[in-house]
Amino acid sequence: MAEPRAGFWQRLQQIPRYYVYLLMAAVVIWQILFPIPLPIAPSSATQGVYDAISAVPDDKLILISTDWDASTNAETGPQTEAIVHACLQNDKRFAIMNLHPPMGVKLANDIAEQVAEQYGAEYGVDWCNWGYKYGFANVLIAMAKNIPKTIGDDFYGTPVAELSMMQGVEDIESIGLVIEITGLATITETWIGLIQGVYGTPFASAYTAVMAPGYYPFLDSGQMQGMLVGAKGAAEMEALVTRPAKASVIMNVQSWAHVLIILLIVIGNLGFVLARGPRGQGAP
Amino acid sequence: MNPEIAILWGGAIATLGVYTILYRENPVSRLFEHIFVGLSAGYLIVFIWTQNLEGRWWKPMIHEGRWYWVFAPVVGLLFYFIYSRRLLWLARLVMGLFFGIAAGYFFRTFFPIYSPQIYACFKPLRADPQIGWSDVVLHNWLFVIILFTVLSYFFFSVSHEGRFGRTLGRSALLGRWFLMIAFGAMFGNTVMARISLFIGRVQFLLSDWIGSFIPWFAGRGV
Amino acid sequence: MWDSIQSVFQPTTSPPQLYRNLAVALIGSFVLLALLHRFLGPRGRRWLIAFVTFVGGLYLGLEYFLPVRTAVLWPTAIPNPNPDRGANLLTPGIEPVGIMMSVIGAFTVGLGIYSLCQVHGRSLGQRRPGWHNSLAFFLAMVAMLVFGFWAHYLPKVDEASAVMPVPRAIYEMLFSGLFMPLQAATFSLLAFYIASAAYRAFRIRTAEAGLMMAAAFIVMIGQVPVGAWVTSGLPTTGALAFFRLEALGEWIMTWLNAPAQRGIVFGVAIGGLAMSLRIWLSLERGTFFSEQG
Repeated sequence: MAEPRAGFWQRLQQIPRYYVYLLMAAVVIWQILFPIPLPIAPSSATQGVYDAISAVPDDKLILISTDWDASTNAETGPQTEAIVHACLQNDKRFAIMNLHPPMGVKLANDIAEQVAEQYGAEYGVDWCNWGYKYGFANVLIAMAKNIPKTIGDDFYGTPVAELSMMQGVEDIESIGLVIEITGLATITETWIGLIQGVYGTPFASAYTAVMAPGYYPFLDSGQMQGMLVGAKGAAEMEALVTRPAKASVIMNVQSWAHVLIILLIVIGNLGFVLARGPRGQGAP
Repeated sequence: MNPEIAILWGGAIATLGVYTILYRENPVSRLFEHIFVGLSAGYLIVFIWTQNLEGRWWKPMIHEGRWYWVFAPVVGLLFYFIYSRRLLWLARLVMGLFFGIAAGYFFRTFFPIYSPQIYACFKPLRADPQIGWSDVVLHNWLFVIILFTVLSYFFFSVSHEGRFGRTLGRSALLGRWFLMIAFGAMFGNTVMARISLFIGRVQFLLSDWIGSFIPWFAGRGV
Repeated sequence: MWDSIQSVFQPTTSPPQLYRNLAVALIGSFVLLALLHRFLGPRGRRWLIAFVTFVGGLYLGLEYFLPVRTAVLWPTAIPNPNPDRGANLLTPGIEPVGIMMSVIGAFTVGLGIYSLCQVHGRSLGQRRPGWHNSLAFFLAMVAMLVFGFWAHYLPKVDEASAVMPVPRAIYEMLFSGLFMPLQAATFSLLAFYIASAAYRAFRIRTAEAGLMMAAAFIVMIGQVPVGAWVTSGLPTTGALAFFRLEALGEWIMTWLNAPAQRGIVFGVAIGGLAMSLRIWLSLERGTFFSEQG
């Protein structure tokens, strides 16, 4: 009788990967089609981003650095959308720019265009897009001293100095808040090391959930005013701006996908422990 | 011309084409991989020119008469000697310049980045006479203990022998446990990130694509 | 000093003057490079590379450390309201150097593209297995190049116009209908792989693995709405509020994860500083550095 039992526990550890894939897909599809809505409460880190946006003086711009691409679109896209909502709801003028990867500048531009239309915000007056600027630290160090010259043309090929909202914008003193939206590590350190830490420009961020844990120390030290953590942060921001959208759905679906993964890990470990038997035999 | 329909169908076919790799390596996913790399390369060239070189190099040089911008391609193109054995050293010359500048950036950003991190370690560890042993003080103790034990784990210069060494070893062991908790938290967040990406794609497939011809799906997932 | 340098680099006022300066600068650069190549031996080249590396790092480091920016070293002090007030001799060069380096860097993107074209060109030319994929690579690249530039240089159309010009429509199709979904789908495959890997490899073999798993479970469930729903019966204030899963997850991130991450940050800082010093002083050895000549 012991043999078949051990076989069962062994098999419990070896569910074919196709079944795991199918289960994952099934849970996600089920929750998107038949959602069980659950409430979302903003965390203090998300609230920090919102407060930082609303605290920007009217004569200064918010600079949103959209350093993400389609690979993280499901997290950073809704983050960008919710942040743009927050800027426009608070009547703040904002500029988008992109250091890397270049895809982010168009994706963010499409989002900003759509959101701006909802508020009747005009390009060049209420918001603008400085485009993709190659060079990371070299761009930031020069931008701190002279924005129009460093940026040159905007996303559409117009010199930024010709945009009406850019009149009087000379250097980093004209920026009231930098918001970094990214899935790339080290860009944050560049912003903090060359801008926030030197000129005292307030800094907030929105990260993919993968990299967010590594930046909690910067939140603790006050170098960051707030941080959006992946789709969770985006959903919380959507709740703050009262515009529940994609991220809120993602978090609901996410709930059950997490439950599935926890169940899978538990099943695998159950098989692992029980297959070993009393003397620890039979483990793979 | 309205590209909406083509975008939806193209997106759906591309997504499903990539997903065929979940079954096994196959020509369809291979083809889409190559298309992706090709589009990526083309897009990069377009954006490097239109968003960078045109406005920041070509226009100042040709339209504003700033002739010295001609040195930028001269130096930049030295990188391409990496493909020549005879002139490789010229590529190394310009790479050396960039490495030096990268080192310079690290020096100048070291204090702005890390000094506030050091200051933030100095947290009040004594009870406030007004508040008593509040949550904050207990948390500060926890923070400092974790920080020091984790740092001791990375302190490899002293062997874990002798009185000090054994104490250090015990501290390092505790540090390792705390690191494991941090890695667990990172793992949890990583799962969240990866699944978000898939949900994003399913939202597109169900709500946007299928929703474009079966209205019932259109309202789902957005 | 900067005034005299700037006078040399004054913009030209007429096209002939511009073209003359461009030609002189180009010829001068090529002559200089040719002379360096002709007359510098391996030792001289090594020294030149080391010198250029040193000067690059020195300029950026020195420019920062010469003026005392109180806001950086002592955050409690009042920040300098005008950062340029204490500018030193090197500060005026920061902006041109920053712009120049970013533009020079932009010229390097062709390196990777050249390499890709080389590989796929060879595959296509020799009709190697999978050559049709290389053809797809070239077609996709050329299509994006043509329609990308075409769409960018089209005259701006009336916003209210519902009809999109054909080149822009094709560019949108290539971008939103292929490029974007291909990348998003490729990275979303990770969801399947992480689920499968977690199930197959995440085993409690040691106490440390157990701790890691416990933290992972709490964070995974605490970060999502279902976590808050499971423990929604617990009060939102008082001692029991701590055990609400969303609060516990946040507590782990803030009070257990943050200090451990800070320990790692300090390690990275010291390691980065040591590495930067080695590179700056050309002490580093390896593929690139040991063959500098």
